[in-house]
Amino acid sequence: MAYALGIDVGGTFTDGVASDGTGRIISAKTQTTPPHREAGVMQVIEDLSAELGISVREMLSQTDYIAHGTTASINALVQGDVADVALIATKGHRDSIYIMNAEGRTLGRSAHEIQDTLRQRKPRPLVPKYRALEVTERMDYAGQVLVPLDEEEVRRVARTLVEQGVEAIAVCLLWSFKNPAHERRVRELIHEVDPGMYVTLSSDVSPRIREFARTSTTIMNAQVGPRLRTYLEPLQKQLEDSGLTGPLLVMQSEGGTITADRAPEHAITTVGSVLSGGVIGGLRMAGQLGHRNVITTDVGGTTFLAGLIVDGEPVMAPGSIVNQFPINAPTIQVHTIGSGGGALASVDEGGNLRLGPQSAEAVPGPACYGNGGLRPTNTDANLVLGILSERGLLGGRKPLRKDLAEEAIRTYVAEPLGLSVEEAAIAIHEVQNAQAGDLLRRSVVQAGFDPRDFVAYAFGGAGPAHCVGYCRDLGVSEVVVPLGPVASAFSAYGLAASDVVISAEFSDPSSFPIDHTTLQGYFEQLEADVERALGRQGVVFKDVTLQREIDLRYSMQVSELTTPVPEGPLDEHSGEAVVRTFEEHYERINGSGAGYREAGVQAITYRVRAKASLGFPVLLPEVEEARSADPSAALLEERPVCLDSRRGFEATPVYEYSRLRSGHVLVGPAIVDVPTTVVVIPAGSAGRVDHLGNLVVTYQ
Amino acid sequence: MRNTIPGSEHFTSRPMPRDELLGRIPDTLPLHSVPEDRVGDVDALTYEVVRHRLSAITQEMGETLRRMSGSHVVTESNDFNFSICDELGEQVQVGTFNIGLIGSMDLAVTWTLQHRATNPGIEEGDMFLCNDPWIGGGLHQNDAAILAPVFHDGKLFGWTTAIAHQIDLGGLRPGSFSPSAQDVFAEAAPTPPVKVVRGGVLQQDVADMWTRRSRLPHMVGLDLRAKIAANKNAADQLLRLVDRYGADTVKSVMRRMLQDAETRLRTKLDGLRDGTWTAIGYQEQSGTGDRDLHRIKVAMTKAGDRLTFDFTGTAEQTGIINCPYPGLRAGIVFTMLPLLAGDIPWAAGGLLRCFDIVTEEHTITNASFPAAVGKGPFGPAWGVGNLVAEVLAKLLDSEPQHRRDVQSICNGTTDLCVVSGVDARDGGRKGFVSPIFDVMAGGYGAQVNHDGVDTGGRLIIPTAKAPDVEMTEYLYPLVALWRREQTDSGGPGRQRGGMSGSVCYVQHPQQDAPMSLVVSGTGKVANQNVGLAGGYPGNSQLDMVVRDIELPQLKGATTVPADLDEVGGRAEVLPCEGESVLGVRDALFLHWQAGGGYGDPLLREAGSVRDDVLQSRVSTQAARDLYGVVIDDGGAVDVSATAALRLSLRGRRAGRAGGPAQAPLAVTEPVLERAHRLDDNLAIVDVDGSETVACTHCGTLIGPAHNSDFVIELIRTDAEPSAAGPHIWHDPSVYVDAEVVFRQLCCPGCATAVYSRVVPVDHPLPEDVYGGRS
Repeated sequence: MAYALGIDVGGTFTDGVASDGTGRIISAKTQTTPPHREAGVMQVIEDLSAELGISVREMLSQTDYIAHGTTASINALVQGDVADVALIATKGHRDSIYIMNAEGRTLGRSAHEIQDTLRQRKPRPLVPKYRALEVTERMDYAGQVLVPLDEEEVRRVARTLVEQGVEAIAVCLLWSFKNPAHERRVRELIHEVDPGMYVTLSSDVSPRIREFARTSTTIMNAQVGPRLRTYLEPLQKQLEDSGLTGPLLVMQSEGGTITADRAPEHAITTVGSVLSGGVIGGLRMAGQLGHRNVITTDVGGTTFLAGLIVDGEPVMAPGSIVNQFPINAPTIQVHTIGSGGGALASVDEGGNLRLGPQSAEAVPGPACYGNGGLRPTNTDANLVLGILSERGLLGGRKPLRKDLAEEAIRTYVAEPLGLSVEEAAIAIHEVQNAQAGDLLRRSVVQAGFDPRDFVAYAFGGAGPAHCVGYCRDLGVSEVVVPLGPVASAFSAYGLAASDVVISAEFSDPSSFPIDHTTLQGYFEQLEADVERALGRQGVVFKDVTLQREIDLRYSMQVSELTTPVPEGPLDEHSGEAVVRTFEEHYERINGSGAGYREAGVQAITYRVRAKASLGFPVLLPEVEEARSADPSAALLEERPVCLDSRRGFEATPVYEYSRLRSGHVLVGPAIVDVPTTVVVIPAGSAGRVDHLGNLVVTYQ
Repeated sequence: MRNTIPGSEHFTSRPMPRDELLGRIPDTLPLHSVPEDRVGDVDALTYEVVRHRLSAITQEMGETLRRMSGSHVVTESNDFNFSICDELGEQVQVGTFNIGLIGSMDLAVTWTLQHRATNPGIEEGDMFLCNDPWIGGGLHQNDAAILAPVFHDGKLFGWTTAIAHQIDLGGLRPGSFSPSAQDVFAEAAPTPPVKVVRGGVLQQDVADMWTRRSRLPHMVGLDLRAKIAANKNAADQLLRLVDRYGADTVKSVMRRMLQDAETRLRTKLDGLRDGTWTAIGYQEQSGTGDRDLHRIKVAMTKAGDRLTFDFTGTAEQTGIINCPYPGLRAGIVFTMLPLLAGDIPWAAGGLLRCFDIVTEEHTITNASFPAAVGKGPFGPAWGVGNLVAEVLAKLLDSEPQHRRDVQSICNGTTDLCVVSGVDARDGGRKGFVSPIFDVMAGGYGAQVNHDGVDTGGRLIIPTAKAPDVEMTEYLYPLVALWRREQTDSGGPGRQRGGMSGSVCYVQHPQQDAPMSLVVSGTGKVANQNVGLAGGYPGNSQLDMVVRDIELPQLKGATTVPADLDEVGGRAEVLPCEGESVLGVRDALFLHWQAGGGYGDPLLREAGSVRDDVLQSRVSTQAARDLYGVVIDDGGAVDVSATAALRLSLRGRRAGRAGGPAQAPLAVTEPVLERAHRLDDNLAIVDVDGSETVACTHCGTLIGPAHNSDFVIELIRTDAEPSAAGPHIWHDPSVYVDAEVVFRQLCCPGCATAVYSRVVPVDHPLPEDVYGGRS
């Protein structure tokens, strides 16, 4: 027997999934144990082995690999609980990271927040100015040395910083992505002073034009790298001591893994690991269900995240924003849609009903939890509407207080709007659906796609109560609610099922097409880089695919469009073919006739992405088949529920998920009670249990 | 000298009541409308859903524009905006980009409705191009608007608009703006609305006429397509919304959004006390060779739920420092929206209903054709914005629950420097024109409880951006010796103004010929980035070309000069309005404007001053001279030396007034009974039945509140400008003939500064009238 493990270390829970590659797949959940998170990891491994009925050593010695994701780095960045870092910059340009191109006030803020202009401020600087020092050197736009590096000065600066007791040094010099020689020499000189110092070079971590985002990325890498190292090194040792022979892999934001010993050096590429895990989970399930285009939605208590899978691949973004600072690390694009089940409902001064953006957070939570929350949330509305039962979730331990939910809705929504409590509750429910539907539609359309070509997946505790509603306006063909054995550890499942993804890129802004032999040379160089990196993984890969890309734009534009380039040898027509692909994609997004070749086309960044399969099928198991479509054997009760303002309350059957079988059909209105969630099937839609135990809802 | 052109009055647009406008639109143009009494019929739920959808559609317009535009003004600086309007052009939803444009978009739509409906007609699939600043749709000719009517069922349902600044649309000088222009004919030609898209098809003849005038035709061509695409996408989605909910419902929501915004702003105004607040600012130099200061004056009266802005007393139109009426309206919107309506959805049409404008004709803020107006938005319109921000801040500062909306003035204008020449790198000969955009990173004014945001952008473009140095160097043959935040630039105050920055460029080593420079900027001598409640102004703008520097083009350099002292050569101060050249042996230095401080810097918490010193925001010297804080060699506050120094600085203020330095009263922050606080320092108390202004710091009764009579009782000093700090330009005679002073008004008891300005010596004293509640 052989196993693949996926382990997702979240802020509250550590989830684990083990698959034996032949259809058996199990999950386990335990508390996360900060600051020594490795204890929680070892615990969940023990739980998995217990479930399998074997010893930890037995399991680990037969484990091909462990894929691991953690929110520790992203949480550390968000909360500012990071290493003391210094910055070395080009003389005259230290302040790039403070000026933040002036946009630091509003980066990552919503239009609603930006409009409140007087409340928008820059975030706390990543490093205090007295730990950001300059060194004499200068390159020009082509990477030619204008002023040589003053090595004596670098030594002095390094000594000063070491004396200040910094834990890591970030080095970002102008134009280093064109010519990294000065940055590399700076690193050597720092290591002469302190061989153990953690040093991040911008030309390594983000060889892209635009020094602000590059500096920001480099500093954040240095902030989380040392601590990722002090976490992973002992964890890996502990696992090896317990019998692990395969690699410990760490998930990256771009959806593939790197080995644990290399992860700290590229720490910034791992910050989105758990979010990406969810999308990868969706991707694997899509593979099994035969879906090519999927919108994944993950609604928890406080967040509502959405990702896109197009033609069997997750949609990527070249970067992301944390605390108003940009991170240049390719990432699976995860859109934050809203505030999840805990979104607060309120009526503003003008009598407009609002949901979010504030959320009740984990504490105190919705009013109906009885933990002191007084403001109504989406969850409170669902309780009043009968969608949730007062006894709470089947798998949950806590009963819900309908009286508190009603009181909150009455005070904050019903009375100000002149509605009954029930009317107010359905208004909250429907506004949440409409708002989420709008934002989802925008993220699909902006990526250049038509939502009608997609199916939607809805996971997370708070999603299934709304997904059929918020997907109705999108025009998707069906909504799939994953409910199999790994539903509550979907991200860990995604981790176990991921590929290794490695990319290499560099910026060389110029008019395009360029000479085809130069182009060929660029890609061969990048391909050699990623193949070398793959070789360092210590894993035998089943198959490896390389994807070439160029970020193109019309001259003078500022946003580029990532455009695929064919593999194999390139000829004099290849450049023109790439431009045609670019223009087709451009017109798909911006409308036909939008293209404007007269302006000229420019290339900015060249990239090769390698995807290597671990060759371990992490298949979801099939569930038992029903004898007929009639689900009445699973009927739990009938209760009055309101799912639609036009229909009001009506007696609605509630089914117990554990008694449903593959092939059962549930005609709306209906509700399914699952231990971890509640699924709503409104009138006008019907749900069918598929062979993996998922509920597949279609509209009539 | 003003001349008039007969017939030019046809090309003007003013706000007018809906009924009057309706009467001027020919019946042949069918309009979709809902009766006012049916607007309330939409239920809360539908209202909310449709409202959110409209907001989403508008945001997408901005994203489309940014994505497709080729102009760095759009992509790097966000100088553009867009809106969705009802059938009569009232703006229902607007973007958060250049917000002044909001003050002009509706005017262009209403003009088009009146003058284009019959010939050439307004029909489905049409779009109109306009860059006539007298008509609107922009504040100067560089702002090019596309106005798109949206039809449903054969009726005009509404409009979408998109405007973006174009770097060059022809005219005498690169950038379309000439400091020596005598009239508009030396600038880019204004174009009243022309049909550029007919029945959904871009008209090639019109497009060619449009791009042909520019030195950067490709950039203009890309932007034209970007704006058309943004409008088209918005119309498609708007119609999808109409199909789903019905035209009447969507229109009712639109009308209710306007009502809601209006009601909320009126309610807010109604809760404030009445009064009249006055502010005066200056445009320095009206064009090449001029040495005068030109006054803009506003008296804002708040009565009940309405504001009136009266600009009587503003200088007659002259030189290039003029804007037409839409610019004046934009100037008000620039700062009124962020200060008064940050918490109200920007259904801008409703907000625009809440104020009246009183103005004389032929003035620099209401210029008639054919005045030169290319500088309109960053000259007089921006100047209006500064003054409106000042009077609104004073109004809000006297209301305890609104003090969080008080902000001293941000960078008083942009620091325009258009560079043009030939890019000879790599053997090329490509012409280029571009303003230097680093100056976008202006400082924000301080707030009552927050320091101003350092290099934060600009208030009038809430999402303002500056480019990366690498992007500038990639696009243009320049090398930045430095770009940094400038220590001491932020206006000193109890809360410090946000810092500005400076940048210094030399030509790339492969360049072999001079580049041309066009410079424009006011606030080099009479600071417009004023502080409030005794806070000092932010730095004076300073632009220089340094001739014959030591390391021209960094050729053979082994060091990087990173300060003016290290550059060598001869500094040549550039005028407020003028032209120059940047030779291959020269360096260009631009130091743009910071924000004003709030409150007396002697009241700033010493620990905050220490932190400012450690983070290079304030120098040790300025900490001592302006804040009265002594930092010892170990970087700690010397508490007793600081107390002694602060006392002696107060004594000196009292002494400077002419009398002997008397010992000032201690700052005790006494409890004032039944006081009505006006700002950080002053409160009105009742003394034997008459309203008297008292100092909140020492309790001294200063004088009668009536007509600001207490002002003459304040200690008044007029000192040389450099007394305001190292960031203030020392020699006004370089720019203007007027005598300019650092004027401080201080409490006669404790010598706390209640007013600290750099002004011409004949600048009037404050004359605000605080009234009661209506």
